[in-house]
Amino acid sequence: MDRLLKDILFILYDMKINASDLVKQYRRNGDDIRAAINYFKNNKSPERSRQLTFGGFKENKKEMENNGGSVGILEYVKKHRLGIMHIGNKDYPPDLLNIFVPPPVLYYRGKRPDDKLFNIAVVGSRRCSHYGREVASYLSRNLSRIGITIVSGLALGIDASAHREAVKEKGGSIAVLGNGPDIIYPPENRDLYKEIEGNGTIITEFAPGTPPLRTNFPIRNRIISGLCKGVIIIEAGQRSGAMITGELALGQDREVFAVPGSIFSPGSRGCHKLIKSGAKLIEDIDDILDEFDHLFKEKNHIAAEVIDKKNIRKQKRPGDISLKDIKLEPLQSKVFEVIGCRAKSFDDISICSSLEASRLLKILLFLEMNGMIREYPANYYSRSTKCGTF
Amino acid sequence: MFFKLDSFALVGVDAVKVTIEVHLSRGLPGLYIVGLPGKAINEARQRVRSAILNSGFEFPVKKIIINLSPADMRKEGSLYDLPIALAILAGSGQISPGCFNDSCFIGELSLDGKINPVRGLISMTEKAVDLKKKYFFVPAINAEQASVFREIDIIACLSLKETIKTINSGSPGENACRRADPDLSCNNCETDFSEVKGQFKAKRAIELAAVGMHNILLIGPPGSGKTMLARRIATIMPCLDLQQCIEVTKIQSLCNETSNGIITDRPFKNPHHTISRAGLIGGGVYPRPGDISLAHRGILFLDELSQFPSNLVEDLRQPLENREVIVTRNQVSYCFPSNFMLVVATNPCHCGFWGDRENRCKCSEREIKRFWKNLSGPIMDRIDIRVFVSRLKEEDYINTELGENSEKIKKRVERAVVFQGNNKDRKIKYNSEADAATINKWLAGDERLRKAAFMVGKRFKLSARGLSSILKVSRSIADLEESKDIEDEHILEAAGYRAIKTYG
Repeated sequence: MDRLLKDILFILYDMKINASDLVKQYRRNGDDIRAAINYFKNNKSPERSRQLTFGGFKENKKEMENNGGSVGILEYVKKHRLGIMHIGNKDYPPDLLNIFVPPPVLYYRGKRPDDKLFNIAVVGSRRCSHYGREVASYLSRNLSRIGITIVSGLALGIDASAHREAVKEKGGSIAVLGNGPDIIYPPENRDLYKEIEGNGTIITEFAPGTPPLRTNFPIRNRIISGLCKGVIIIEAGQRSGAMITGELALGQDREVFAVPGSIFSPGSRGCHKLIKSGAKLIEDIDDILDEFDHLFKEKNHIAAEVIDKKNIRKQKRPGDISLKDIKLEPLQSKVFEVIGCRAKSFDDISICSSLEASRLLKILLFLEMNGMIREYPANYYSRSTKCGTF
Repeated sequence: MFFKLDSFALVGVDAVKVTIEVHLSRGLPGLYIVGLPGKAINEARQRVRSAILNSGFEFPVKKIIINLSPADMRKEGSLYDLPIALAILAGSGQISPGCFNDSCFIGELSLDGKINPVRGLISMTEKAVDLKKKYFFVPAINAEQASVFREIDIIACLSLKETIKTINSGSPGENACRRADPDLSCNNCETDFSEVKGQFKAKRAIELAAVGMHNILLIGPPGSGKTMLARRIATIMPCLDLQQCIEVTKIQSLCNETSNGIITDRPFKNPHHTISRAGLIGGGVYPRPGDISLAHRGILFLDELSQFPSNLVEDLRQPLENREVIVTRNQVSYCFPSNFMLVVATNPCHCGFWGDRENRCKCSEREIKRFWKNLSGPIMDRIDIRVFVSRLKEEDYINTELGENSEKIKKRVERAVVFQGNNKDRKIKYNSEADAATINKWLAGDERLRKAAFMVGKRFKLSARGLSSILKVSRSIADLEESKDIEDEHILEAAGYRAIKTYG
């Protein structure tokens, strides 16, 4: 175990120095963690800020005390084979290092979150509509497919949809937690947690044993945006965690993308506000990739290594359904024509296609089996996003 | 003097023979009833005495002992007044007991000698037929109900005096009720399916449920018409045959003594969720059938399932499986039939708007999951068809075009039920009763069916139970189309009635 890590943990958990104070000294000494450690070790009354830490968010120090100090943490990490990474490591993600208060220590499970990644964050409401879920799945799937890693917060709703699609593809996914690495929160996402461990990383800056306190999440959000080149916001209310992430991303000089929703939906107010104030409105992943064109042109840049951009646009995306491949009978294609991109009710489809319930249901099920349409609760159907509806 | 005649007691829905023995002897005058009589039977002493005197006969000044045999069975109710009075009169030689061996008697007496109705008459008549009796003397008010049996002469008794006149005439058969052929056509005509606008999927699902007697779950936001649909299910179910009518009438008449005639409508029971356990399942000090038995051959509709206490819902498990319920009280077991179609309605979540297009649902994902968790479990497993009932749009409300009416749908259903019953290699009457062995048989004969079932099961990640539900429903679809085999498209359609739960 390296000496530097032990010292950092000692300062944080035995001397109980705030992470932000440690980082302040780190910056003052010209980004030298050794110098910062020496400052705290040799100075009897080191400079400490009272409360304000991560750009306005309070860290709940009390909860982090019950973990047996640095020795306890190290034992835990060893026993449970957690990964651990600190600010002095050479492969510490460079994007994250550039933010205002980078986390001095990161605990992780799964793949090491090294500097060889091109990340984009997908965040949004926990209470989202089907549309929001659909957008999150669609964008994450296609971004991950070309090698971009999707970062999100393992929450329900948009986050979960984004993770779920991204882990199945090449780029994988990173989940940044607002609690210790030993806790799976929310418990509904237990399966997802395991999946991400398999193709991606679970990251947290909170020491083992830290419960998911509400104050932790805004603090955690700076890491989500910090890890990424850009942040996509899908369905955020006016005062929501996703909006906080968006604002943090602006502060960190990241690209902010917003997905528009219905003007009547209160769930998209935040996104619309962002678009009005200059965030980029996106309709497809091309809108996102355009913003990074300059990176792709740079030689030896990570983006060029990870992503084979030339082939992105022309290529048919694997897994997509081309309508020519499936032979539809006249009635089936008639029904498919009737069903638009917006969800339509069973009764409406029945009237528009003048088919009775029993025959229509057979056709709908056939189309659903082939992945061409999706069924939503309350007898609504819409074309699936795999059919190139976007 | 010793004399005896036959009457009946009710045990559950069935009647057993009770012999009423009377012994008149010298001694201090009085009337004593033995053989575990209940309070109402003991009070018969006063009624019988007054009725005999008021009918112009003499009450013998003797010590009268009446025994109700079998003497170790508890007996309840006021139904032995008439046989006791007749036994006393016969014992004292005031009437000629010529036809008593071939007869049985039931009825409550008024003080003036009039005869009042009794409960459960139809069960007793059935038993009387079993015992090969020739004549059954019953209260006139109930007589029509008893007269559906052709093998026995039902003699309607208005008063004690008239009854005695009939007996004394020596040939009571001449005064028997006319055995009218009961009109078995059902007339649930207050409601009709044509009144339901839209809801094509739900209507089709209900039609299938009626064919195979599948239990059905209707999910929908408030005001979407779940109750409206449920109330109309009975109007498309096939008419009851005579045997079924008798079964239904037997149970209903246990609870309603003034019921006359035979019940031909399918019962529809809609208990409120505050119903007690005894009220739903059956029971009480003198066990009575609960709503699940009163819904026998008909529909038990549980509206707002989430409001029902979970133990009540769990209680339905065994009756759903066995199609009868056994209630044991005071060392006696009563068996009530309960072969009903369970129709359940529920909101999709606590606020009722989950899945709503305008995103009006205020529930978090966790609340929705918890809501479904409380509902699901063994009862959900026994529900083959789950279908969403969506809210109508404003323009649909004012659409005055009428849909298909119940009569038309009913004709289709009846044909399908006949087709279902004609299939000789099926032991079951309805598809919903199919067990694992039966389903296996369907699968074994058909390679294509196995393939289709596998595909559907894989695509929708179905459990074994879910898949067998789909197979049962697809069999009903095949029956509706009078197709001998289950085709691919039948399975496809059946898979559409599995109503997605939660996702995300």
